[in-house]
Amino acid sequence: MHDEPDDARLEEELRELAARLEPVPDRLVQAALDAYAWRTIDAELAELTFDSLAGHEEAALVRGQQQERLLSFRASGLTIEVEVTAAGPARRLIGQLVPPQRTEVKIRHQDGVVTVATDEFGRFVADRMPAGPVSLRFGPTPGEGRSAVVTEWIPI
Amino acid sequence: MPTDAERSRRAADLVTAAARGDDAAWKALVEQFSGLIWSVTRAYRLGSADAADVFQITWLRLAEHIGRLDHPEHVGAWLATTARREALRASRASARVVLTDEDAVFDAQEAGGETPEQAVLRSERADQLWRAFRTLPARCQLLLRLLMATPPPSYTEVAAALDRPVGSIGPTRARCLRLLREKLA
Repeated sequence: MHDEPDDARLEEELRELAARLEPVPDRLVQAALDAYAWRTIDAELAELTFDSLAGHEEAALVRGQQQERLLSFRASGLTIEVEVTAAGPARRLIGQLVPPQRTEVKIRHQDGVVTVATDEFGRFVADRMPAGPVSLRFGPTPGEGRSAVVTEWIPI
Repeated sequence: MPTDAERSRRAADLVTAAARGDDAAWKALVEQFSGLIWSVTRAYRLGSADAADVFQITWLRLAEHIGRLDHPEHVGAWLATTARREALRASRASARVVLTDEDAVFDAQEAGGETPEQAVLRSERADQLWRAFRTLPARCQLLLRLLMATPPPSYTEVAAALDRPVGSIGPTRARCLRLLREKLA
């Protein structure tokens, strides 16, 4: 039987080995620092309520393959449906706001922001998005007295 | 080492300060918890692209939730839970063949080069220890890889990364370290 100090020493040895073999990549630490600049304080958060990837293996969006993934986000009185398709390394987003409304859509990704607009049916499309984390920001639409809405970040 | 209560108080202070716009507090959170989140991606054996996505998404989620956390003192467990869920989602999504650590070593050998891993493993003890670790049962590798985070995570954070009761961590750790010691003997 070994006592607690032996366990602590062995765990520490493993920790040192892991730190040398599998260190946190510097570029990811920088990405974590940069993530702070994306925080929004003036917008309502739309939470992810459905993801076809969560639980349905056959619906999986596989990198580089042509398959679709369905996502749904909900804020108070607003549902955001998004379909993601992959074409090679790029992603195409097709979305719709329910109830429909015309508004600006800022698609935030790791290299910047792509701005599109919804049509009268609340639909929007964004092509050639880079794979990786994205978050969508809608509005604000002052005419309807609605503050901006941002979705949770999701990997596409 | 600080007590769990001290860690919780410090974490809550950092979250509150970061929510007010304090860059230095955010940086301190990144320094405290990046090792834990990275360990979740290693413990769940994600390929490098998925690991990068999970790591980034976890921090972006915290940035979005920083002023909305119900329990800022439990931010470490919140991050571990978020990283675990995203890691499991990524595993399901990757129907493609995952490039494992072993594959990376193999590729480097094929190319005639030496990976950083091989350079470290030229030390005999390091080589023995890593090999022994890799032959442990999957649940032991999972738990120990989380505990191997720098700085060391709390059992509460490890339990959140595993979705297991906190009380199970200590006994499982003791069993797994005993197994590892037997393999090294």
